[in-house]
Amino acid sequence: MTKTAEIVVIGGGVSGLSCAYNLAKRGVNDIVVLEKGYIGMGATGRCGAGVRQQWGMEENIILARESVKIFERLSGELGFNTFFRQGGYLLLVFDEREFELVSKTVPIQNRLGVPTRLLDTKEVADLVPGINTDGVLAAAYCPTDGFCYPYAVLWGYAEAARRLGVQIRVCTEVTSVSPVGSGRYEVVTPRDTYHTPIVLNVAGARTKDIAAMLGIEIPTEPFRHEIAVTEPLKPFLDPMVISLKKGFYFLQSVRGEVVGGIGDENEPSSFNTKSSPDFLFRYAAALREIFPALGKARIIRQWAGLYDVSPDARPILGTVDGHPGYYHACGFSGHGFMLSPIVARLLSELITAGSTSIPIGGLELSRFSEGSITKDPYVVG
Amino acid sequence: MTKTVLCHCEDVEIDELYSAVKQGYGDIETLKRYTGIGTGKCQGKCCLVQTLRILASLDTPAERKTAGGDASELMGDPRKIRLPTIRPPLLPMRIDDILEENGERR
Repeated sequence: MTKTAEIVVIGGGVSGLSCAYNLAKRGVNDIVVLEKGYIGMGATGRCGAGVRQQWGMEENIILARESVKIFERLSGELGFNTFFRQGGYLLLVFDEREFELVSKTVPIQNRLGVPTRLLDTKEVADLVPGINTDGVLAAAYCPTDGFCYPYAVLWGYAEAARRLGVQIRVCTEVTSVSPVGSGRYEVVTPRDTYHTPIVLNVAGARTKDIAAMLGIEIPTEPFRHEIAVTEPLKPFLDPMVISLKKGFYFLQSVRGEVVGGIGDENEPSSFNTKSSPDFLFRYAAALREIFPALGKARIIRQWAGLYDVSPDARPILGTVDGHPGYYHACGFSGHGFMLSPIVARLLSELITAGSTSIPIGGLELSRFSEGSITKDPYVVG
Repeated sequence: MTKTVLCHCEDVEIDELYSAVKQGYGDIETLKRYTGIGTGKCQGKCCLVQTLRILASLDTPAERKTAGGDASELMGDPRKIRLPTIRPPLLPMRIDDILEENGERR
């Protein structure tokens, strides 16, 4: 059956649902979200759900800072407990080069209102009892960073969006998107076909495939990232502990499990989301090195998800020349969850008012055809 | 009122399962994440089959909705009801043992 919609959102992850909620809140009626599986089946439901403001580039720090402001009030706003817990992020520094980077960057973060401070190894040991500081020179600690339960954020956005009239169609895969004249797009699914003036493409690592249906080339690549979880332990770990150099992160969830991951620079680009024994070994070694007592803890589960990686590890947001009514957000490179509240706000402003309260011009797709790009040095894994 | 515990690891009562289904979190992948069933220390060996048996006994359209709308494919008919994705390791493994297996001793 052919239906009409004001906006069709492709993707039922945190980007799609947060955008749908923000658009509905700004008065858009008749929004349809299309999700090929269940809500959060893609990267959102598989992510570490960390939320940090410790970034290297000013633009990234500002977006993350604004995201944290929204996360702090999100449970109340959505009427759904997101389990946002601000235990801070502790970025361990392992060599002189990293020390130089954080020493230079912390004052920039402070100037932008992010309360990061440098800790010496004794302060690190006091903050995290049981941590092994061998080889650690110092750490950067921001107490207002934190993490959520990603599904709770998804369900909170989904329920709030539905209360505002948004239709969310799960098990509804988009098989084709094409322009049909008079400024409208046709979005085809096995169930229904939608005619809409506005398409918002937020399909994670599949965003580029949807864009390709319209002849838009997006230079992102999917990469598998794996996570492992221990059995629940007594609460011992407040901050998320991360390393840029070693590419790991560890957190203790509110129900006590230690959850974390470690990157693999040899991982080829693919849509593979299978768990690997190789990751389990590397992760176990990294976790026991930082927390020797966890040698006695059991790993109960591991899984994998995809990073949608852009050439500069920064998101690709906004419009595309020659495709009026088409918008996208992708290429989050592992940071989509933490940025989603502010990205959703800005995209909903862009779609409904034509401009954004924080400039996102530097994040348009067109930057890749305009020469040099800058990568943020604070990318983990 | 009697309490029937369905998932001992995550302390989920049978009434919580009914309530989750009623609120639209009734397909097995979502139910697992919403209630915690199958995600604790036993990883579902005590509760998953019981959960599926109860899901198979539910049959009204209202009970077949899931988070965000119609998901008959996810809820399925009872014949299609399936286990959630089973993830490694098969047994909970101590980190020391994992590393020993990989040839690293302390």
